[in-house]
Amino acid sequence: MSTSRDDFGIAVRSALLQKGARQKFSLFFLIIIASIIFFLDYYKIKPVNFARAFISDALYRASNIATAPFLIFSDLKTNTINLFVTFKENKVLKLEIEELKKKEFQVEFLKNQNKNLRKILEGDSKILGESTLAKVLIDKKSPYLKSIIINRGSKAGISKGMPVLDGNYLVGRIVEVNYLSSRVLLLNDLNSRIPITFGENSTQAILTGKGGDDPKLEYLPEAYVPEIDISVYTSGKDGVLIPGLPVGKTVLKEENVFVKLFSDPNQLSFVTVQLSEINEENF
Amino acid sequence: MAILYKNFRRNVINAGPLILLYYISISEIDTQFSNLFEILSFNLQIIIIYYWTLKSSSVLGNGHIFLVGIINDVVMGLPLGLSSITYLVVSFVASYVKNVTVNISLFTDWFTFIIAIFLSNLALMTLIYNFSSLKMEYSDIFYNSFFTFLFYPAVWGLFNFYQKIMVISQDD
Repeated sequence: MSTSRDDFGIAVRSALLQKGARQKFSLFFLIIIASIIFFLDYYKIKPVNFARAFISDALYRASNIATAPFLIFSDLKTNTINLFVTFKENKVLKLEIEELKKKEFQVEFLKNQNKNLRKILEGDSKILGESTLAKVLIDKKSPYLKSIIINRGSKAGISKGMPVLDGNYLVGRIVEVNYLSSRVLLLNDLNSRIPITFGENSTQAILTGKGGDDPKLEYLPEAYVPEIDISVYTSGKDGVLIPGLPVGKTVLKEENVFVKLFSDPNQLSFVTVQLSEINEENF
Repeated sequence: MAILYKNFRRNVINAGPLILLYYISISEIDTQFSNLFEILSFNLQIIIIYYWTLKSSSVLGNGHIFLVGIINDVVMGLPLGLSSITYLVVSFVASYVKNVTVNISLFTDWFTFIIAIFLSNLALMTLIYNFSSLKMEYSDIFYNSFFTFLFYPAVWGLFNFYQKIMVISQDD
């Protein structure tokens, strides 16, 4: 028992007093010094306060300098994080810009749509009789058929043969009527035949679609001298179309008279269907 | 020239732990990570002192430990000499363990480290509560001690690796 206590004492004494090969002070000596400093500081002795102030000044500056690399690293870390945040923000902002662009396009589209509708409404006032506004649902380009589908059918009072106008100008007529939709045969379709009249002499002819943009005037009088830039109107001779609807102006192509339509049949978005009373037999 | 360079390199590598100890004490680098985990903080200085006193007391030296304590007190605003005493207590326990232990392993180091932490904290609290107007939370000291104890094996592994480099540098 006493041996182990002796061993403990020897070990403690050795730890406290032993100085290593390169040690200048023993632990015991330094603990005593530290304790003295502690108590001197505790009792606020002037020289200690002065020494403390002096050491503090020097150490604070040293600490500031020593921390500088760490602060740079810290700044680097913050900047890196900011960079990633910026990347993320940039991504989000790009998406927002895309959305805004889409909205801008939508606004532009609606603006133009509104303008067109206004134009149509203004045009409507010039057209006599009841009419209904219809939106072009399908305008699928085909090399053979030139027709469009509108969102108005028999429910809206549409029947076969009714003239379809873009503003004041004739663009075609109804050839197929469903309950909620209709097909409009455009003037430039190969199957389109419209009786028209034009010029000072009220020359009669048939406007025949040729599949291209401009329909051709056929069945002209034999003594007819082709003239250009003459306005062409519906004659109403078929008993289907209202007479006097403007169609286009004459143009000459290889000694044939064609009609440059007032309304481009490829650019239709809204049309007006003239709800005239149609004699189905005539059609 | 080559010999001078080798000696310089060896001295720098050997002084690594001491430089680290001084740097931690003098700079604003703290080992408190309350932003990650509210109670997470540990005392790296104590680990360094304990490990290197135990493994190779000549690396740090008692005088440096004392001086580091003084610097730490000034930077942290603690009563002068307080950290010196706690660090020297740790160094004393390490010296004692070194004297009485034949085979040193991680587990013997780790468990005797509890004694070092306990005695250093005992000295700290005794001095603060009796001879200072500073207020310290028992729980803070406990958590700090707990995490210091917990992280010891990780730091032990790192220092063991570093010690091998030191040995290599001493050999060449």
